[in-house]
Amino acid sequence: MEHSGPGWAIADFHDELQTWLDGHRAELAPPYDPPGTLDEQMAQMQRVKSLLFDAGWMRFGWPESVGGLGGSPMLRTELGAALAARDLADPGLFSLIEVLAPTLIDFARPALAAEVVPRLLSGAEMWCQGFSEPGTGSDLASLDCRALPDGDASTAATWVINGQKVWTSLAQYSDRCVLLTRTGSAESRHRGITAFFVDMDTPGITVAPIEMLNGMREFAEVFLDDVVVPADRILGEVDGGWAVAMSILPYERSSCFWQRIAYLYRRLEQVVEVAPDDERSAEIIGNAFVQLHALRARSRATQHRLADGATLGAATSIDKVLVATAEQTTYEAARQVLRGVVEMDDRAVGDAWRTEYLYSRAATIYGGTIEVQRNIIARRLLDLGADE
Amino acid sequence: MMDPADRALLQASVRDALEAADGLAAVDAALSELGWLEMLQAEPGDAVDIAFTALGTTNSAATALDDVVVAALGMKPSPDVAVLLPQFRTWTPPGRIDTDRCRALGLGTARAALAREMIVVCSVGLDASAVTVPRASVDARPVRGIDPDAGFHIVRAEHHVAVDTRFDLTAWDMAVAAGRRAVAYQIAGACRTMLLLARAHAVERVQFGRPIAAFQAVRHRLADALVAVEALEATLGVADDDPNSLTAALAKATAGRTARLVAANCQQVLAGIGFTTDHPFHRFLKRTMALEGLFGSADEIAIDLGQRLLTARRVPTLIDL
Repeated sequence: MEHSGPGWAIADFHDELQTWLDGHRAELAPPYDPPGTLDEQMAQMQRVKSLLFDAGWMRFGWPESVGGLGGSPMLRTELGAALAARDLADPGLFSLIEVLAPTLIDFARPALAAEVVPRLLSGAEMWCQGFSEPGTGSDLASLDCRALPDGDASTAATWVINGQKVWTSLAQYSDRCVLLTRTGSAESRHRGITAFFVDMDTPGITVAPIEMLNGMREFAEVFLDDVVVPADRILGEVDGGWAVAMSILPYERSSCFWQRIAYLYRRLEQVVEVAPDDERSAEIIGNAFVQLHALRARSRATQHRLADGATLGAATSIDKVLVATAEQTTYEAARQVLRGVVEMDDRAVGDAWRTEYLYSRAATIYGGTIEVQRNIIARRLLDLGADE
Repeated sequence: MMDPADRALLQASVRDALEAADGLAAVDAALSELGWLEMLQAEPGDAVDIAFTALGTTNSAATALDDVVVAALGMKPSPDVAVLLPQFRTWTPPGRIDTDRCRALGLGTARAALAREMIVVCSVGLDASAVTVPRASVDARPVRGIDPDAGFHIVRAEHHVAVDTRFDLTAWDMAVAAGRRAVAYQIAGACRTMLLLARAHAVERVQFGRPIAAFQAVRHRLADALVAVEALEATLGVADDDPNSLTAALAKATAGRTARLVAANCQQVLAGIGFTTDHPFHRFLKRTMALEGLFGSADEIAIDLGQRLLTARRVPTLIDL
């Protein structure tokens, strides 16, 4: 593969990548008929990462200190979008790298990041995020999973963690976990949170997958009973975990969204490929296309602002609202145009649309509910003052 | 491409000048003094963005749209030259040629009644013809409708065709695209002002012991309106960077959807006071309703786009990183 390192222009990277993907089609194709089980999807995703890592593609856009080849983070975004558009990897699962790796790069000891990030990128490992709890959803600062130092917080060699997490995506497939814990007083909220990088095979960790209403068990409860974690696995500072959690947002709101958008375009295209040629279908498809275009226009602007070094804050709540609503529109369009496929079709194509349609109902719920986004927009962007 | 700082300064001057101008003739004069035609020739993207956004935010009516369409047809814009716009909610050429007579029905700005001549684009098979019609052959009647101040006219024209300018329909498509971009910018400007008015009301109006801006129901309406406006502005950026028929159609369709949502949500927040003529909101509501139909509203454009996608059996992404 030809490349010119850090200065590689996105358009050139795009073209070379497309050529490579075309040339390795057979090798990359899933060995099962879509949609596949979650086990099959996970194995496929890790296999694809491994192939891409060996060929170098997975390494572009990441720092050399963690096995990367440097270059703009937009190269990573471009890669994820290309894979999503070809249905080689589910973008929601694949793009988890975008929120997990930067956390280690920015907050772990350099030696730890250098050791583990390549394992994530190469598909040798998968990681999860332990954030939400049964009593902690939108109000993340209320989390309760407790980490106690063995001795004084500043000198303890180990910490003991007890608690429960929920909605932990892919916990049952994960080797490690970015875990948020309560290290301050019960009332300390965001000021008393510490992030740990925990091995999932540590004694005391139990994972119980949860079945979503589309039949998939993508996330799980995670129980932690006297889990002992070395102090050198703290990410950032003791009681500095809120910054770690907040640092994830810009990555999620940029790269992950762009990849999801690529995927939604592909899904709409799959509708267009087989839709009946009537005015009703044209209207539904046209409206979905208009909405996807506005989303893509906004997301592109966000990617570039981020790449230019801007701090993305509340403005990305607009991107979140747009991507969530556009996802729902796209799947609703599929349901309306492909009459009966979602509700009544027992073939593989019906299963695939049904599974994804139902999942799209959660787009306004996960990653920060649409209500929370509207609250952020109202408070921070419209400056509407305190709410009651 | 203008320097951002210079651009911001120019945007502010244009807006201030339009605020100060009273009536359509004064607005046209203000734009002329600011160098509108020169800028349209030198930096058409920036010119249209700045001028039409300002027209929208200040709710000013002008005849600048004629210049945009004339220039996009590859002809020389001038205050004395009007152009016949397509009928409301359509975008096909407004004229037809039968043997040696041109007959047309369409819309005009206020310039339709004043200009020395009017350019009437007629479809002729797969081509188009631009016929120059003298004022005497133009019957322009002002539309009262939802927004008399907008200056729209229903225009009929009929004239013997002696000489015409032939071009293929691509030039007409480009003219429609340019018109759509201009109107979309104007709608965006109007939406920004509607949101500003609603926000100002929400933070000032006190009920139940607090500003109504404190209530989540009100906050969420305004938040959704902001999302719509920002999405529209993003599509305008794309239409500007890559000006073509498709990006213009998408921007115009987005403008229509945005205008409806913003007007509805802001009207709801403004409640009683926004329902009166004492408050400026109604002017923006009515203006955006009238503007939405120029060169096709969101509904027709969405159907047309859908049909194009179905014909191609593809969905183009259009925007790259």
